[in-house]
Amino acid sequence: MINLTLPKNDDFMAAPVFEIEKALNRIHNKKELLERVVDIFVKSLHERKDILENELNNENWETLGTIAHSIKGSSWTIGAQKLGNIAYEMEKAADLKELTRFRRLFQIFQTAAQEFIEFDKKF
Amino acid sequence: MNKKNIRFLIVEDDEMIRLIHKDFLKDLYPGSEIIEAENGAQGICHYFENHPNIILLDMMMPIMGGEAFLDILEEGHQCNILKDKPKIIVVTAIKEVKELMNIGKRFAVEAVISKPLVQNQLKSLLKDWIS
Repeated sequence: MINLTLPKNDDFMAAPVFEIEKALNRIHNKKELLERVVDIFVKSLHERKDILENELNNENWETLGTIAHSIKGSSWTIGAQKLGNIAYEMEKAADLKELTRFRRLFQIFQTAAQEFIEFDKKF
Repeated sequence: MNKKNIRFLIVEDDEMIRLIHKDFLKDLYPGSEIIEAENGAQGICHYFENHPNIILLDMMMPIMGGEAFLDILEEGHQCNILKDKPKIIVVTAIKEVKELMNIGKRFAVEAVISKPLVQNQLKSLLKDWIS
């Protein structure tokens, strides 16, 4: 069923930007590994954002869904709960081919990605 | 399976998750061989080349996903082209229960674990198989 209510940034405010403790627990408190993992994650965020932008113009729903799914998995793994939740909604919008909803979520995703990068820099 | 000559194949498109899996497996089984593939197509090539004992498999990947990877292994086994049956652990961010249950019934799939992966879950599975 198509969701007619467009998502807002506030819908995702409750989720933490970056749960460092959770991420560390997941990798047995290896701080050096976490640094490497976060570097790869941030690099992939930039790459995936560019792919999403291009594929959104082509309305290539299969690729949009696959990329959103990948972002969801890696975000939740690293404790980037907010980004993971947004990506999950993007994946569902891609599945239903909801263009307006996906565009809105992509805007929210870009803001959240920037927020994650800024948060990470502080630590 | 003996931990000294165990071969793992990680089929996962996400470099970050491959690194986490690899680090975990290296800690747990220092003498093991770990092979990495970025998608199902690379995974199939590595499978034929290296005959891994245990495969960690993602489902949604570009170029070739886990579903097609399992199709090829199953077909190979049914036609007696493949003799060895690997143990496959699917690690996926798929959330639909029905879909997860269907994956669990696929050829050689021994377990389906949801992302984010809880490493202790994987550890206890592996301990049952590796001496």
